[in-house]
Amino acid sequence: MKKNKLVWLSSLILVLSIFLAACGGGDDKDASKDSDSKKDSGSPDATQELNIIESAEIPTMDSVLVTDVVGSTVLNNVNEGLYRYNEENVAVPAIATGEPEVNKEGTVYTFKLRDSKWSDGSTVTANDFEYAWKRAIEPKTGSEYGPYMMAGIIKNATEIGKGKAKASDLGVKALDDKTLEVTLEKPTPYFLSLMAFSTFLPQKEEFVKEQGKKYASNSETTLYNGPFVLKGWDGTGLKWQYVKNDNYWDKDNVKLDKINVDVVKEDQTAINLYTSGKKDRAGLSGEFAMQYANDPEVLKVVESSPFYLKFNQKREGKEETVLANANIRKAISMAFNKEDLSKAVLANGSFEANYLVPAEFAYDEDGKDFREVNGNMNKFNAEEAKTYWEKGLKELGTDKVALEFLGGDSDLSKKMDEYLKNQLEKNLPGLSIKLKEVPFLVRVDLDSKQDYDIQFAGWSPDFQDPYTFLNLWLTDGQQNKMSYSSAKYDKFMKDAETTFANDPAKRWQALADAEKVLIEEDAAIAPVYQRGTMALQKTYVKDLVKHSFGAQYSYKWAYISGKE
Amino acid sequence: MTKEYPKLPPEAFKHVHMDGSQTEKISKPSLNFWQDAWLRIRKNKAAVVSIFVLTFIVLMSLVGPMISPHDFETQEITHANLPPKVPGLEKIGIFDGTGKMGGKEINLYEMKNVDTYYWFGTDGLGRDMFSRVWKGTQISLLIALIAAVIDMVIGVAYGGISAYYGGRVDDAMQRVVEILYGIPTLVVVILMILVMDPGIMAIIIAISITGWIGMSRIVRGQVLKYKNQEFVLAARTLGASNGRIIKKHLLPNVMAIIIINTMFTIPSAIFFEAFLSFIGLGLQSPNASLGTLINDGYRLIQFQPHILAIPAAILSLLMIAFNLIGDGLRDALDPKMKD
Amino acid sequence: MAKYVFKRVIYMILTLFLIASFTFSLMKMLPGSPISTSSKLTPNQLAAVEAKYGLDKPLPVQYGIYMKNMVKLDFGTSFQFKEASVTELIINRAGPSFILGIQALILGTIGGIILGMIAALRQNTAWDYGSTLIAIFGISIPSFVFASLLQYWIGVKGGFLPVGLWENGWKSSILPTIALAMGPLATSARFIRTEMIEVLGTDYITLAKAKGASGIEIAFKHAFRNALIPLITVMGPLAAGLVTGSLVVEQIFAIPGIGEQFVKAINVSDYSVIMGTTMFFSVLLILVIFIVDILYGIVDPRIRLAGGNKQ
Repeated sequence: MKKNKLVWLSSLILVLSIFLAACGGGDDKDASKDSDSKKDSGSPDATQELNIIESAEIPTMDSVLVTDVVGSTVLNNVNEGLYRYNEENVAVPAIATGEPEVNKEGTVYTFKLRDSKWSDGSTVTANDFEYAWKRAIEPKTGSEYGPYMMAGIIKNATEIGKGKAKASDLGVKALDDKTLEVTLEKPTPYFLSLMAFSTFLPQKEEFVKEQGKKYASNSETTLYNGPFVLKGWDGTGLKWQYVKNDNYWDKDNVKLDKINVDVVKEDQTAINLYTSGKKDRAGLSGEFAMQYANDPEVLKVVESSPFYLKFNQKREGKEETVLANANIRKAISMAFNKEDLSKAVLANGSFEANYLVPAEFAYDEDGKDFREVNGNMNKFNAEEAKTYWEKGLKELGTDKVALEFLGGDSDLSKKMDEYLKNQLEKNLPGLSIKLKEVPFLVRVDLDSKQDYDIQFAGWSPDFQDPYTFLNLWLTDGQQNKMSYSSAKYDKFMKDAETTFANDPAKRWQALADAEKVLIEEDAAIAPVYQRGTMALQKTYVKDLVKHSFGAQYSYKWAYISGKE
Repeated sequence: MTKEYPKLPPEAFKHVHMDGSQTEKISKPSLNFWQDAWLRIRKNKAAVVSIFVLTFIVLMSLVGPMISPHDFETQEITHANLPPKVPGLEKIGIFDGTGKMGGKEINLYEMKNVDTYYWFGTDGLGRDMFSRVWKGTQISLLIALIAAVIDMVIGVAYGGISAYYGGRVDDAMQRVVEILYGIPTLVVVILMILVMDPGIMAIIIAISITGWIGMSRIVRGQVLKYKNQEFVLAARTLGASNGRIIKKHLLPNVMAIIIINTMFTIPSAIFFEAFLSFIGLGLQSPNASLGTLINDGYRLIQFQPHILAIPAAILSLLMIAFNLIGDGLRDALDPKMKD
Repeated sequence: MAKYVFKRVIYMILTLFLIASFTFSLMKMLPGSPISTSSKLTPNQLAAVEAKYGLDKPLPVQYGIYMKNMVKLDFGTSFQFKEASVTELIINRAGPSFILGIQALILGTIGGIILGMIAALRQNTAWDYGSTLIAIFGISIPSFVFASLLQYWIGVKGGFLPVGLWENGWKSSILPTIALAMGPLATSARFIRTEMIEVLGTDYITLAKAKGASGIEIAFKHAFRNALIPLITVMGPLAAGLVTGSLVVEQIFAIPGIGEQFVKAINVSDYSVIMGTTMFFSVLLILVIFIVDILYGIVDPRIRLAGGNKQ
């Protein structure tokens, strides 16, 4: 029994080495495979079927409850609100026939609705909007985005949120079947871009009430008025299909007949499915992105999400941290190489950010990017950082600082946190960083308790205006959670919101000034990067529109050409 | 038929004197338990090779991070994702720093202008895989060892007490075990780690929280078997205390099975740690374990196989070594197997 | 026998009760609440949501309600899927997991038995070393590494089996089954080998040989049957191992099973799903252990089930 195990031990090593060699084998097939699919956008194929991957399940199809990207994306393709983001990421009238009538003060909007139908054949009326919006603001519904998006904008929304008014008092009214009147709290320049957001989609009252709790919990108990209808979604499953909606008003522009979606959570599996021809699109991350960087099938998309370090000035809202010292904050914000971080560590299409309001996001009336006003602030500069650091240390009367760094627990964020820790400790002598990597929910919890020193965080916009980012850092801002308070900043923001509400140019400048105070003067946060994404997409997929925020994709215009 | 026999000298027929006092003498040198075990395990070549492999890995895990010119934490981002390159071996065409980039074979060291050698390559942050792998091995072994020792102590104490005192004590203690046995270990471990601050301690506690049950069952069985045997009864009749009986008579007999079982606990603890890394509950960076290294690497099988292959190979070697040593010890320590 | 079964059932219920209480208290200790992502909620909305999930009541009351509902097989409402009941979620996801689990168990044990038999009958030959080698590989390569190797080399490069997903019926289940079966295969192969060698050395085998029974007859009629009985004892741990494996394999092959959902629930702290799935796994494991014990009593008359010490 014990003899000669040596023999098989050596055979074991042999097998092991085969296994290793196998791993190192060539990937030669890939290069030649897809060369035939590079015909220029020709006529659509006979079979219009798209196969795609989502990264998570649909939590709900109820437009007032949805909070996540996947849910918003699905809703964007099966439903339609007054407005819709077009191929250029501009909100354009959809169910609304055209631009609304606005009163002189800019507080009453009157929308005219086009003739359009729900998937059950009934007409989409103004009442469907009124009902859905009021349902969203009703505290019992528990909609996150309802009160959040409406408060301070639509009349009485704030009071309803506080319980001081009833949902029926909300400033929205169906004048008749085809006319919707919205009354605002105050003039809001970005109001129309909100109309493309999923919270403001219509819902048919009769249907919602009939389905009760089951409403929008699977594809049969949901009603659609968009380009596609949902099929085969059981509420918690990993697959569903979109099928062209024959009741959609603009169905002539919808070319795809069917879209098959599968949820795949492992990137590697997604890429394997793509490579084997099973799927037409797959997201790329980290190392995968690096490997495919020069592949003709790679698409890069800029997203409107900035990521930054939050400096907590008062631990749990009470005790001041060393980060209350502006020089220390400035030092940290300049002490890491953002370019290396985004290009080499993330390498997923993200790029360095020296600002809060992202590039290619908000434009003034002449089409000029908001970024052109302030440009870059607090760029990486190790020497300057060290100067600030020493100054700060002297003010604090210490030479050693230990800080807790709160980050996410995904592979990528772990890698990034390690890099940041390394950079900061290298460039700021005397600093030691303790990483604390936790699941998202825990991080949110610690954030709300202000139980951290430095936190890595990001923000995705809710509407297309710099205000969506800048209002985060108001002294009483709900998302502030780091005890940042600047009278100067608050003043600029107040001006932008009220005094200059109807004066776009001055408002723009005030917002820019606020950003400058936040980042350059106070270094309240340290911008790190603006997110970009990379994906592999077969070249026969045409006009699949990727949005930079909110819902990720629109399939309305997409078609297949040259697959056969 | 007559046969010629060699003629024996008369001296050969001398009478041998039987010395009664010498009959009980054992001519072989007396061997204690361990010498005996060693003698027998020495014949088991697989186990011997495994012991060498294991010793080598343990030594490397201690000195490895030191002999590499690169530190396990230092990041050199421009040196990220380099394949292994070993001086000497590069001349014969292996470990020469060639890797794939965008589907083509190129020498990544030349492309990135790197003139140093990374024996095991680098990871995505440009850290030296050589020192990381050995550091990771060290931490994996540490976790496994501590978990195994905790398992052993609790399990032996629990099983021993339960069996030795018997009766009601045994009954009560076994009911508890029966209930605990039904709890899915995996789930408990996951829940524990969710509650505790993630880290080495959390993993060790989580692994040992139910790990001792198996050990306690085995020890109990063994003690039950021995405690009524004649040599124990004899000792008791001669007035030996409970402590003496346990220490001098029971423990040495149960020892073998405890050690064997520990040999199998260690690899399963290492394995479990790897599994925890996969579902995202493993160690916190920049600490590395074999589990986290493999978890980082397995996604990159197609592009940077070295990031997976080296820690996976060491993990496999460890598993195999422990299992074979365990097998060998079982054969060597089991009196039935004596040849 | 009836008395024994009754006693065991009582213990099973007690075990489940303890697991439920343990899980409940752990869940309450977890940092972060499932609705803390909803930082956008206004205070009175938060109150409404808490009321909906019963989180506004004092802990003992929550515990009471949880226990009462559990008896009715109601594990509450998922946090990540609005309005989806956990029980329904588990039922929806159980199909693929069961198919994979059972296929893997069958493939694993049968494969393991064959390997183990070969190894034992051809002891210390290349056959023996080969099959031991496979068995050791089965326990020394992490399943996620093995699964992704299979996926890449057979699914993508070979192209004759689906890379993942659950849509080609039986074909989709082949690769995940193989990945999942490696554990049981290794365990049972090693186990059978040891048992067979032991049985082959016993007197009655020698007697059978002396009587002139053929090698095959001895192997199957005498030795194998006796070696098989102890294999039943490792079925419990094997089933538990399959649960662990399913978390990994379902995730990698994107299979809509319970394990895949459990990993997701852990990552998003969906308490009710974690608790429900924990209970589901526990019931499964306890049932398997119970059935194994009963089976064992049936196949091996030497074991008296009623009373006495089980060692």
